[in-house]
Amino acid sequence: MTSTVADTQREVEQFLYREAKMLDEFRYEEWLDLFTDDAKYWMPITESREVGQERSPVAGEWALFEEDKRFLVKRHERLSGGLAHAEQPRSRTRRMISNVIVTEFDDGAVGVESNLLVFQSRRGASEQFFVGCRQDRLIRVDDGFRITERAIHLDHRVLPRAISIYF
Amino acid sequence: MIASRDAAGELHVLLNSCRHRGMAVCASDQGNAKFFRCPYHGWTYSSTGDLVGVPRTEAAYRGELDKSRLGLVEVPRVESYKGFIFANWDAGAVSLVDYLGPDQLWYLDMPIEGALGGLEVLGPVMKYRISANWKLASENFAGDDYHVLYTHGSAFQIGFLPDYDTLADYIAYFPHGHGMGDIPKPGRGLQNDLMMAEHFGPEAVEYVQAYNARLAERLSPEQAAVHGLGEGNIFPNLSWIKFGCFHVLGLYQWHPKGPGELEVWQTTFYDTGAPQHLKDFARSQMSQENAAAGIFGQDDGENFEKITESARGAVSRTLDFNYTMGMGHEGEIDEPTLPGQLGPHYSEQNHRNFYRYWAELMTEARP
Repeated sequence: MTSTVADTQREVEQFLYREAKMLDEFRYEEWLDLFTDDAKYWMPITESREVGQERSPVAGEWALFEEDKRFLVKRHERLSGGLAHAEQPRSRTRRMISNVIVTEFDDGAVGVESNLLVFQSRRGASEQFFVGCRQDRLIRVDDGFRITERAIHLDHRVLPRAISIYF
Repeated sequence: MIASRDAAGELHVLLNSCRHRGMAVCASDQGNAKFFRCPYHGWTYSSTGDLVGVPRTEAAYRGELDKSRLGLVEVPRVESYKGFIFANWDAGAVSLVDYLGPDQLWYLDMPIEGALGGLEVLGPVMKYRISANWKLASENFAGDDYHVLYTHGSAFQIGFLPDYDTLADYIAYFPHGHGMGDIPKPGRGLQNDLMMAEHFGPEAVEYVQAYNARLAERLSPEQAAVHGLGEGNIFPNLSWIKFGCFHVLGLYQWHPKGPGELEVWQTTFYDTGAPQHLKDFARSQMSQENAAAGIFGQDDGENFEKITESARGAVSRTLDFNYTMGMGHEGEIDEPTLPGQLGPHYSEQNHRNFYRYWAELMTEARP
Protein backbone atom coordinates (compact mmCIF):
# COMPACT_ATOMS: atom_id res chain seq x y z
CA MET A 1 0.00 0.00 0.00
CA THR A 2 1.45 3.37 -0.95
CA SER A 3 1.42 6.13 1.62
CA THR A 4 -1.16 8.09 -0.41
CA VAL A 5 -3.65 5.21 -0.32
CA ALA A 6 -3.04 4.71 3.40
CA ASP A 7 -3.64 8.43 3.98
CA THR A 8 -6.92 8.36 2.10
CA GLN A 9 -8.02 5.29 4.04
CA ARG A 10 -7.29 7.01 7.33
CA GLU A 11 -8.93 10.29 6.25
CA VAL A 12 -12.09 8.50 5.13
CA GLU A 13 -12.30 6.49 8.36
CA GLN A 14 -11.90 9.66 10.44
CA PHE A 15 -14.58 11.34 8.33
CA LEU A 16 -17.02 8.47 8.93
CA TYR A 17 -16.30 8.32 12.67
CA ARG A 18 -16.78 12.06 13.05
CA GLU A 19 -19.98 11.89 11.03
CA ALA A 20 -21.31 9.10 13.26
CA LYS A 21 -20.46 11.16 16.33
CA MET A 22 -22.39 14.14 14.97
CA LEU A 23 -25.50 11.98 14.62
CA ASP A 24 -25.05 10.39 18.05
CA GLU A 25 -24.79 13.90 19.50
CA PHE A 26 -27.77 15.27 17.51
CA ARG A 27 -25.59 17.82 15.69
CA TYR A 28 -27.84 17.62 12.62
CA GLU A 29 -26.96 20.97 11.09
CA GLU A 30 -23.29 20.03 10.95
CA TRP A 31 -24.30 16.62 9.61
CA LEU A 32 -26.40 18.15 6.80
CA ASP A 33 -23.41 20.30 5.81
CA LEU A 34 -21.55 17.08 4.98
CA PHE A 35 -23.87 16.50 2.02
CA THR A 36 -23.57 18.33 -1.30
CA ASP A 37 -26.67 20.21 -2.40
CA ASP A 38 -27.36 17.58 -5.08
CA ALA A 39 -26.73 14.61 -2.75
CA LYS A 40 -28.85 11.48 -3.02
CA TYR A 41 -29.86 9.48 0.05
CA TRP A 42 -31.30 6.04 -0.63
CA MET A 43 -32.28 3.01 1.45
CA PRO A 44 -33.83 0.20 -0.60
CA ILE A 45 -35.92 -2.67 0.76
CA THR A 46 -34.21 -6.02 1.36
CA GLU A 47 -36.01 -9.17 0.18
CA SER A 48 -35.57 -12.90 0.80
CA ARG A 49 -35.33 -14.96 -2.36
CA GLU A 50 -34.23 -18.43 -3.37
CA VAL A 51 -30.57 -18.99 -4.11
CA GLY A 52 -30.10 -18.23 -7.80
CA GLN A 53 -33.09 -15.85 -7.89
CA GLU A 54 -31.58 -13.06 -5.80
CA ARG A 55 -31.58 -9.59 -7.23
CA SER A 56 -30.01 -6.32 -6.24
CA PRO A 57 -32.36 -3.46 -5.45
CA VAL A 58 -32.82 -1.06 -8.34
CA ALA A 59 -33.12 2.72 -8.21
CA GLY A 60 -36.66 3.70 -9.08
CA GLU A 61 -38.42 1.05 -7.06
CA TRP A 62 -40.27 1.61 -3.80
CA ALA A 63 -37.70 2.23 -1.04
CA LEU A 64 -37.38 3.16 2.63
CA PHE A 65 -35.57 6.40 1.86
CA GLU A 66 -35.37 7.96 -1.59
CA GLU A 67 -34.62 11.61 -1.25
CA ASP A 68 -32.45 14.60 -1.84
CA LYS A 69 -30.81 17.04 0.53
CA ARG A 70 -33.84 19.32 0.36
CA PHE A 71 -35.95 16.76 2.19
CA LEU A 72 -33.18 15.83 4.62
CA VAL A 73 -33.22 19.51 5.60
CA LYS A 74 -37.01 19.34 5.98
CA ARG A 75 -36.63 16.32 8.25
CA HIS A 76 -34.26 18.32 10.40
CA GLU A 77 -36.68 21.25 10.49
CA ARG A 78 -39.34 18.82 11.67
CA LEU A 79 -37.13 17.36 14.39
CA SER A 80 -36.50 20.84 15.78
CA GLY A 81 -40.17 21.92 15.70
CA GLY A 82 -41.33 20.20 18.89
CA LEU A 83 -43.96 18.03 17.16
CA ALA A 84 -41.81 15.09 16.01
CA HIS A 85 -43.33 12.65 18.50
CA ALA A 86 -41.18 9.72 17.34
CA GLU A 87 -38.09 11.61 18.58
CA GLN A 88 -39.57 13.35 21.60
CA PRO A 89 -37.60 12.82 23.79
CA ARG A 90 -34.71 11.95 21.47
CA SER A 91 -33.58 8.36 21.06
CA ARG A 92 -30.17 7.61 22.45
CA THR A 93 -28.10 6.16 19.62
CA ARG A 94 -24.62 4.73 19.21
CA ARG A 95 -23.21 4.10 15.76
CA MET A 96 -20.39 1.66 15.14
CA ILE A 97 -18.69 1.91 11.74
CA SER A 98 -16.24 -0.74 10.50
CA ASN A 99 -14.91 -2.71 7.50
CA VAL A 100 -14.15 0.46 5.58
CA ILE A 101 -13.11 -0.20 1.98
CA VAL A 102 -11.95 2.78 -0.05
CA THR A 103 -11.78 3.04 -3.83
CA GLU A 104 -10.32 6.13 -5.49
CA PHE A 105 -11.72 7.06 -8.88
CA ASP A 106 -9.97 8.93 -11.70
CA ASP A 107 -12.35 11.88 -11.41
CA GLY A 108 -11.15 12.45 -7.83
CA ALA A 109 -14.23 10.99 -6.20
CA VAL A 110 -13.83 8.36 -3.50
CA GLY A 111 -16.06 5.31 -3.22
CA VAL A 112 -16.48 4.01 0.31
CA GLU A 113 -18.10 0.86 1.61
CA SER A 114 -18.55 0.49 5.35
CA ASN A 115 -20.44 -1.70 7.76
CA LEU A 116 -22.84 -0.16 10.20
CA LEU A 117 -24.25 -1.21 13.57
CA VAL A 118 -26.62 1.23 15.23
CA PHE A 119 -28.05 0.85 18.71
CA GLN A 120 -31.21 2.80 19.45
CA SER A 121 -32.74 3.18 22.91
CA ARG A 122 -36.15 4.81 23.19
CA ARG A 123 -38.40 5.57 26.13
CA GLY A 124 -38.04 2.85 28.77
CA ALA A 125 -37.01 -0.59 27.64
CA SER A 126 -37.52 -0.13 23.89
CA GLU A 127 -34.16 -1.05 22.36
CA GLN A 128 -33.24 -1.94 18.79
CA PHE A 129 -30.24 -2.70 16.66
CA PHE A 130 -30.06 -1.81 12.98
CA VAL A 131 -27.37 -3.60 10.98
CA GLY A 132 -26.27 -3.04 7.41
CA CYS A 133 -23.71 -1.60 5.06
CA ARG A 134 -23.40 1.74 3.33
CA GLN A 135 -22.03 2.69 -0.06
CA ASP A 136 -20.95 6.32 -0.20
CA ARG A 137 -19.57 8.46 -2.97
CA LEU A 138 -17.44 11.27 -1.56
CA ILE A 139 -15.76 14.23 -3.17
CA ARG A 140 -12.79 16.09 -1.76
CA VAL A 141 -13.20 19.66 -0.56
CA ASP A 142 -10.80 22.00 1.25
CA ASP A 143 -11.70 20.81 4.72
CA GLY A 144 -12.19 17.12 3.96
CA PHE A 145 -15.01 15.36 2.13
CA ARG A 146 -18.61 15.87 1.12
CA ILE A 147 -21.12 13.06 0.49
CA THR A 148 -22.72 13.12 -2.97
CA GLU A 149 -24.42 9.74 -2.79
CA ARG A 150 -25.29 7.42 0.06
CA ALA A 151 -26.95 4.02 -0.29
CA ILE A 152 -27.83 2.20 2.92
CA HIS A 153 -28.55 -1.53 2.69
CA LEU A 154 -29.99 -2.85 5.94
CA ASP A 155 -29.85 -6.60 6.42
CA HIS A 156 -33.27 -6.79 8.08
CA ARG A 157 -36.17 -8.25 6.14
CA VAL A 158 -38.56 -7.03 8.83
CA LEU A 159 -37.40 -3.79 10.43
CA PRO A 160 -37.57 -3.93 14.25
CA ARG A 161 -39.54 -0.67 14.30
CA ALA A 162 -40.29 2.39 12.22
CA ILE A 163 -37.20 4.48 11.45
CA SER A 164 -36.88 7.81 13.22
CA ILE A 165 -33.06 8.13 13.00
CA TYR A 166 -30.52 8.61 10.21
CA PHE A 167 -27.94 6.21 8.85
CA MET B 1 -49.38 -18.57 3.34
CA ILE B 2 -48.23 -19.20 -0.21
CA ALA B 3 -49.95 -17.58 -3.18
CA SER B 4 -48.98 -19.64 -6.20
CA ARG B 5 -49.85 -19.79 -9.87
CA ASP B 6 -49.79 -23.29 -11.30
CA ALA B 7 -48.63 -24.26 -14.81
CA ALA B 8 -52.09 -23.42 -16.18
CA GLY B 9 -51.96 -19.97 -14.58
CA GLU B 10 -54.55 -20.93 -11.96
CA LEU B 11 -54.16 -19.25 -8.56
CA HIS B 12 -53.84 -21.26 -5.34
CA VAL B 13 -53.58 -19.94 -1.80
CA LEU B 14 -51.96 -22.61 0.35
CA LEU B 15 -51.01 -22.96 3.99
CA ASN B 16 -47.22 -22.84 4.15
CA SER B 17 -46.91 -25.89 6.37
CA CYS B 18 -45.78 -29.40 5.48
CA ARG B 19 -48.37 -32.08 6.31
CA HIS B 20 -45.65 -34.25 7.90
CA ARG B 21 -44.06 -32.06 10.62
CA GLY B 22 -45.60 -28.69 9.85
CA MET B 23 -42.47 -27.05 8.51
CA ALA B 24 -42.70 -24.12 6.11
CA VAL B 25 -42.04 -25.36 2.57
CA CYS B 26 -41.37 -21.90 1.13
CA ALA B 27 -39.15 -19.22 2.69
CA SER B 28 -39.00 -16.68 -0.13
CA ASP B 29 -40.83 -13.41 -0.60
CA GLN B 30 -41.38 -14.20 -4.26
CA GLY B 31 -39.88 -16.19 -7.09
CA ASN B 32 -40.36 -19.10 -9.42
CA ALA B 33 -40.41 -22.75 -8.43
CA LYS B 34 -41.51 -26.00 -10.07
CA PHE B 35 -42.45 -27.39 -6.67
CA PHE B 36 -42.29 -26.74 -2.92
CA ARG B 37 -39.99 -29.14 -1.08
CA CYS B 38 -39.91 -29.43 2.70
CA PRO B 39 -36.31 -29.02 3.93
CA TYR B 40 -36.88 -31.51 6.80
CA HIS B 41 -37.63 -34.88 5.12
CA GLY B 42 -38.08 -33.77 1.54
CA TRP B 43 -41.82 -34.15 1.11
CA THR B 44 -42.54 -32.41 -2.15
CA TYR B 45 -45.64 -30.52 -3.24
CA SER B 46 -46.64 -29.31 -6.69
CA SER B 47 -47.50 -25.67 -7.38
CA THR B 48 -51.14 -26.68 -6.90
CA GLY B 49 -50.30 -27.98 -3.42
CA ASP B 50 -50.62 -31.71 -4.21
CA LEU B 51 -48.22 -34.02 -2.39
CA VAL B 52 -46.26 -35.47 -5.31
CA GLY B 53 -43.13 -36.85 -3.69
CA VAL B 54 -42.26 -38.68 -0.46
CA PRO B 55 -38.66 -39.96 -0.24
CA ARG B 56 -38.30 -43.75 0.22
CA THR B 57 -42.06 -43.97 0.15
CA GLU B 58 -42.17 -47.79 -0.27
CA ALA B 59 -39.53 -48.58 2.36
CA ALA B 60 -40.80 -46.04 4.83
CA TYR B 61 -44.56 -46.32 4.42
CA ARG B 62 -44.96 -49.74 2.73
CA GLY B 63 -47.40 -48.19 0.24
CA GLU B 64 -49.79 -47.32 3.07
CA LEU B 65 -49.50 -43.52 2.85
CA ASP B 66 -52.46 -41.91 1.08
CA LYS B 67 -50.72 -38.99 -0.61
CA SER B 68 -53.97 -37.75 -2.09
CA ARG B 69 -55.14 -36.69 1.38
CA LEU B 70 -51.91 -34.95 2.32
CA GLY B 71 -51.67 -31.95 0.01
CA LEU B 72 -50.88 -28.52 1.41
CA VAL B 73 -54.07 -27.16 2.93
CA GLU B 74 -55.75 -24.88 0.42
CA VAL B 75 -57.79 -21.91 1.57
CA PRO B 76 -61.36 -22.76 0.67
CA ARG B 77 -62.41 -19.31 -0.48
CA VAL B 78 -60.18 -17.34 -2.82
CA GLU B 79 -61.76 -14.45 -4.68
CA SER B 80 -60.28 -11.48 -6.41
CA TYR B 81 -61.62 -8.02 -7.02
CA LYS B 82 -60.10 -6.25 -10.03
CA GLY B 83 -56.82 -8.08 -9.47
CA PHE B 84 -56.68 -7.81 -5.67
CA ILE B 85 -56.73 -11.33 -4.24
CA PHE B 86 -58.47 -12.11 -0.96
CA ALA B 87 -58.44 -15.50 0.78
CA ASN B 88 -60.81 -16.59 3.51
CA TRP B 89 -60.68 -19.69 5.74
CA ASP B 90 -64.43 -19.57 6.25
CA ALA B 91 -65.98 -21.70 3.51
CA GLY B 92 -69.42 -20.35 4.40
CA ALA B 93 -68.48 -16.67 4.28
CA VAL B 94 -70.42 -14.20 2.15
CA SER B 95 -68.86 -13.39 -1.22
CA LEU B 96 -65.98 -10.90 -1.32
CA VAL B 97 -68.05 -8.33 -3.21
CA ASP B 98 -70.91 -8.63 -0.72
CA TYR B 99 -68.47 -8.36 2.18
CA LEU B 100 -66.86 -5.19 0.81
CA GLY B 101 -70.28 -3.87 -0.12
CA PRO B 102 -71.37 -1.59 -3.00
CA ASP B 103 -71.08 1.66 -1.02
CA GLN B 104 -67.45 1.06 -0.05
CA LEU B 105 -66.61 -0.21 -3.55
CA TRP B 106 -68.03 3.01 -4.99
CA TYR B 107 -64.98 4.71 -3.45
CA LEU B 108 -62.43 1.87 -3.76
CA ASP B 109 -63.12 1.60 -7.49
CA MET B 110 -61.76 5.09 -8.07
CA PRO B 111 -57.99 4.56 -7.65
CA ILE B 112 -58.28 1.27 -9.56
CA GLU B 113 -60.34 2.54 -12.49
CA GLY B 114 -58.79 6.01 -12.63
CA ALA B 115 -55.31 4.65 -13.37
CA LEU B 116 -54.78 5.33 -17.08
CA GLY B 117 -52.58 2.32 -17.70
CA GLY B 118 -53.71 0.18 -14.76
CA LEU B 119 -51.93 -0.21 -11.44
CA GLU B 120 -48.51 -1.77 -10.99
CA VAL B 121 -46.71 -2.82 -7.82
CA LEU B 122 -43.70 -0.52 -7.48
CA GLY B 123 -41.29 -2.82 -5.65
CA PRO B 124 -40.83 -5.14 -2.72
CA VAL B 125 -43.20 -5.28 0.24
CA MET B 126 -41.94 -3.02 3.03
CA LYS B 127 -42.08 -4.83 6.38
CA TYR B 128 -41.71 -3.42 9.87
CA ARG B 129 -42.80 -4.04 13.41
CA ILE B 130 -44.83 -1.84 15.73
CA SER B 131 -45.08 -2.99 19.37
CA ALA B 132 -48.76 -2.15 19.49
CA ASN B 133 -52.19 -3.69 19.28
CA TRP B 134 -53.25 -4.05 15.63
CA LYS B 135 -56.67 -2.46 16.24
CA LEU B 136 -55.03 0.90 16.91
CA ALA B 137 -53.70 0.96 13.36
CA SER B 138 -56.98 -0.28 11.86
CA GLU B 139 -59.22 2.20 13.71
CA ASN B 140 -56.80 4.99 12.83
CA PHE B 141 -57.07 4.39 9.08
CA ALA B 142 -60.82 3.73 9.38
CA GLY B 143 -61.36 7.47 9.72
CA ASP B 144 -59.43 9.02 12.61
CA ASP B 145 -59.00 12.31 10.77
CA TYR B 146 -58.90 14.08 14.13
CA HIS B 147 -55.38 12.78 14.92
CA VAL B 148 -53.88 14.29 11.77
CA LEU B 149 -54.04 17.78 13.26
CA TYR B 150 -51.73 17.03 16.17
CA THR B 151 -49.99 13.68 15.55
CA HIS B 152 -48.95 14.97 12.14
CA GLY B 153 -48.67 18.59 13.19
CA SER B 154 -45.02 18.56 12.12
CA ALA B 155 -46.09 17.93 8.51
CA PHE B 156 -48.06 21.19 8.50
CA GLN B 157 -45.23 22.96 10.32
CA ILE B 158 -42.69 22.17 7.58
CA GLY B 159 -45.12 22.79 4.72
CA PHE B 160 -45.44 19.12 3.68
CA LEU B 161 -49.23 19.53 3.77
CA PRO B 162 -51.49 22.55 3.25
CA ASP B 163 -54.12 23.47 5.84
CA TYR B 164 -55.90 20.20 6.66
CA ASP B 165 -59.42 21.56 6.22
CA THR B 166 -58.62 22.43 2.59
CA LEU B 167 -57.96 18.74 1.84
CA ALA B 168 -61.10 16.92 2.90
CA ASP B 169 -64.52 17.25 4.47
CA TYR B 170 -66.09 13.92 5.41
CA ILE B 171 -65.61 10.43 6.74
CA ALA B 172 -67.88 7.46 5.97
CA TYR B 173 -68.58 4.04 7.34
CA PHE B 174 -70.06 0.92 5.82
CA PRO B 175 -71.53 -2.42 6.93
CA HIS B 176 -69.07 -5.09 8.22
CA GLY B 177 -66.97 -2.57 10.18
CA HIS B 178 -65.35 -0.86 7.18
CA GLY B 179 -64.59 2.84 7.31
CA MET B 180 -62.79 5.62 5.49
CA GLY B 181 -61.69 9.18 6.12
CA ASP B 182 -60.56 12.31 4.31
CA ILE B 183 -63.30 12.32 1.67
CA PRO B 184 -63.34 15.66 -0.15
CA LYS B 185 -66.69 17.22 -0.94
CA PRO B 186 -67.56 17.04 -4.66
CA GLY B 187 -65.35 19.38 -6.67
CA ARG B 188 -62.61 19.84 -4.07
CA GLY B 189 -60.42 16.88 -5.05
CA LEU B 190 -60.09 17.87 -8.71
CA GLN B 191 -59.52 21.51 -7.80
CA ASN B 192 -56.71 20.55 -5.39
CA ASP B 193 -55.08 18.23 -7.94
CA LEU B 194 -55.20 20.89 -10.66
CA MET B 195 -53.60 23.40 -8.31
CA MET B 196 -50.84 20.95 -7.55
CA ALA B 197 -50.46 20.05 -11.24
CA GLU B 198 -49.50 23.62 -12.05
CA HIS B 199 -46.27 23.13 -10.10
CA PHE B 200 -45.42 20.12 -12.28
CA GLY B 201 -46.27 21.70 -15.64
CA PRO B 202 -48.71 21.14 -18.52
CA GLU B 203 -48.14 17.39 -18.76
CA ALA B 204 -49.34 17.00 -15.17
CA VAL B 205 -52.42 19.13 -15.85
CA GLU B 206 -53.25 16.89 -18.80
CA TYR B 207 -52.74 13.81 -16.65
CA VAL B 208 -55.13 15.07 -13.96
CA GLN B 209 -57.74 15.87 -16.58
CA ALA B 210 -57.37 12.48 -18.27
CA TYR B 211 -57.64 10.70 -14.92
CA ASN B 212 -60.77 12.63 -14.06
CA ALA B 213 -62.33 12.04 -17.49
CA ARG B 214 -61.65 8.35 -17.09
CA LEU B 215 -63.45 8.29 -13.74
CA ALA B 216 -66.47 9.95 -15.35
CA GLU B 217 -66.44 7.57 -18.29
CA ARG B 218 -65.73 4.25 -16.54
CA LEU B 219 -67.53 4.97 -13.27
CA SER B 220 -69.86 7.98 -12.98
CA PRO B 221 -69.87 11.79 -13.02
CA GLU B 222 -70.53 11.68 -9.25
CA GLN B 223 -67.32 9.68 -8.68
CA ALA B 224 -65.38 12.00 -10.98
CA ALA B 225 -66.64 14.88 -8.83
CA VAL B 226 -65.02 13.27 -5.76
CA HIS B 227 -61.86 12.53 -7.84
CA GLY B 228 -59.35 11.97 -5.02
CA LEU B 229 -59.82 10.10 -1.78
CA GLY B 230 -58.20 9.77 1.55
CA GLU B 231 -57.60 6.57 3.44
CA GLY B 232 -59.62 3.72 4.87
CA ASN B 233 -59.70 0.37 6.56
CA ILE B 234 -61.20 -2.78 5.12
CA PHE B 235 -62.26 -4.66 8.23
CA PRO B 236 -60.45 -6.05 10.08
CA ASN B 237 -56.83 -5.23 9.23
CA LEU B 238 -56.27 -4.09 5.65
CA SER B 239 -55.81 -0.35 5.37
CA TRP B 240 -55.26 1.79 2.29
CA ILE B 241 -54.38 5.34 1.36
CA LYS B 242 -54.71 7.31 -1.88
CA PHE B 243 -54.80 11.09 -2.07
CA GLY B 244 -55.47 12.18 -5.64
CA CYS B 245 -53.35 11.87 -8.76
CA PHE B 246 -49.94 12.61 -7.27
CA HIS B 247 -50.18 9.99 -4.59
CA VAL B 248 -49.49 6.27 -4.79
CA LEU B 249 -52.08 3.74 -3.68
CA GLY B 250 -50.66 2.27 -0.48
CA LEU B 251 -51.92 -0.94 1.12
CA TYR B 252 -51.10 -1.83 4.72
CA GLN B 253 -51.67 -5.28 6.17
CA TRP B 254 -51.56 -5.06 9.96
CA HIS B 255 -50.56 -8.61 10.89
CA PRO B 256 -51.14 -9.23 14.61
CA LYS B 257 -48.16 -10.96 16.28
CA GLY B 258 -49.74 -11.26 19.71
CA PRO B 259 -51.79 -8.77 21.75
CA GLY B 260 -49.09 -6.08 21.83
CA GLU B 261 -47.19 -6.57 18.58
CA LEU B 262 -47.97 -6.09 14.93
CA GLU B 263 -46.07 -6.51 11.69
CA VAL B 264 -46.82 -4.09 8.89
CA TRP B 265 -46.67 -5.32 5.29
CA GLN B 266 -46.86 -2.30 3.07
CA THR B 267 -47.33 -2.53 -0.69
CA THR B 268 -47.27 0.41 -3.07
CA PHE B 269 -49.02 0.81 -6.41
CA TYR B 270 -49.05 3.48 -9.06
CA ASP B 271 -50.55 4.14 -12.46
CA THR B 272 -48.41 2.66 -15.24
CA GLY B 273 -49.90 5.29 -17.57
CA ALA B 274 -48.64 8.28 -15.56
CA PRO B 275 -45.69 10.36 -16.80
CA GLN B 276 -42.40 9.08 -15.36
CA HIS B 277 -41.63 12.23 -13.35
CA LEU B 278 -44.99 11.96 -11.58
CA LYS B 279 -44.30 8.30 -10.77
CA ASP B 280 -40.94 9.29 -9.29
CA PHE B 281 -42.51 12.07 -7.26
CA ALA B 282 -45.35 9.90 -5.91
CA ARG B 283 -43.04 7.02 -4.96
CA SER B 284 -40.47 9.17 -3.23
CA GLN B 285 -43.15 11.22 -1.46
CA MET B 286 -44.76 8.08 -0.03
CA SER B 287 -41.45 6.99 1.50
CA GLN B 288 -41.40 10.40 3.22
CA GLU B 289 -45.01 10.15 4.34
CA ASN B 290 -46.97 7.09 5.50
CA ALA B 291 -44.16 4.53 5.51
CA ALA B 292 -41.58 3.05 7.89
CA ALA B 293 -39.22 6.04 7.69
CA GLY B 294 -41.89 8.55 6.69
CA ILE B 295 -42.71 11.47 8.90
CA PHE B 296 -46.29 10.24 9.36
CA GLY B 297 -45.44 6.57 9.76
CA GLN B 298 -42.88 7.03 12.50
CA ASP B 299 -45.09 9.29 14.63
CA ASP B 300 -48.11 6.98 14.25
CA GLY B 301 -45.96 3.98 15.22
CA GLU B 302 -44.57 5.76 18.25
CA ASN B 303 -48.06 6.77 19.41
CA PHE B 304 -49.53 3.29 18.93
CA GLU B 305 -46.65 1.84 20.95
CA LYS B 306 -47.10 4.33 23.78
CA ILE B 307 -50.84 3.63 23.97
CA THR B 308 -50.26 -0.12 24.09
CA GLU B 309 -47.60 0.29 26.77
CA SER B 310 -49.61 2.66 28.99
CA ALA B 311 -52.86 0.75 28.67
CA ARG B 312 -51.25 -2.32 30.29
CA GLY B 313 -51.15 -0.64 33.70
CA ALA B 314 -53.13 -2.03 36.64
CA VAL B 315 -55.33 1.06 36.77
CA SER B 316 -55.18 2.19 33.13
CA ARG B 317 -56.43 -1.19 31.92
CA THR B 318 -59.63 -0.73 33.94
CA LEU B 319 -60.42 2.57 32.21
CA ASP B 320 -62.49 2.97 29.05
CA PHE B 321 -61.18 4.87 26.03
CA ASN B 322 -63.35 7.76 24.93
CA TYR B 323 -65.08 7.25 21.57
CA THR B 324 -67.92 9.75 22.05
CA MET B 325 -67.02 12.28 19.35
CA GLY B 326 -70.08 12.98 17.21
CA MET B 327 -72.43 10.72 19.20
CA GLY B 328 -76.04 11.77 18.74
CA HIS B 329 -75.11 13.62 15.55
CA GLU B 330 -74.87 10.80 13.03
CA GLY B 331 -76.68 11.20 9.75
CA GLU B 332 -76.65 14.99 9.82
CA ILE B 333 -74.57 15.42 6.65
CA ASP B 334 -76.61 16.27 3.58
CA GLU B 335 -74.54 15.16 0.60
CA PRO B 336 -76.87 12.98 -1.46
CA THR B 337 -74.37 11.87 -4.11
CA LEU B 338 -71.94 10.27 -1.63
CA PRO B 339 -72.77 6.72 -0.43
CA GLY B 340 -72.07 5.25 3.00
CA GLN B 341 -72.91 6.64 6.42
CA LEU B 342 -71.32 10.07 6.09
CA GLY B 343 -69.95 12.01 9.00
CA PRO B 344 -68.06 15.27 9.40
CA HIS B 345 -64.25 15.42 9.16
CA TYR B 346 -63.97 15.07 12.93
CA SER B 347 -66.13 12.29 14.35
CA GLU B 348 -65.63 8.88 15.96
CA GLN B 349 -68.66 7.34 14.27
CA ASN B 350 -66.32 5.13 12.19
CA HIS B 351 -64.48 3.86 15.27
CA ARG B 352 -67.80 2.92 16.86
CA ASN B 353 -68.81 1.11 13.66
CA PHE B 354 -65.45 -0.76 13.65
CA TYR B 355 -65.79 -1.91 17.27
CA ARG B 356 -69.53 -2.70 16.98
CA TYR B 357 -68.74 -5.20 14.25
CA TRP B 358 -65.66 -6.46 16.10
CA ALA B 359 -67.76 -7.02 19.26
CA GLU B 360 -70.44 -8.77 17.18
CA LEU B 361 -67.86 -11.23 15.80
CA MET B 362 -66.14 -11.76 19.15
CA THR B 363 -69.38 -12.57 20.97
CA GLU B 364 -71.32 -14.49 18.31
CA ALA B 365 -72.11 -18.11 19.03
CA ARG B 366 -69.65 -20.53 17.41
CA PRO B 367 -70.99 -23.68 15.80
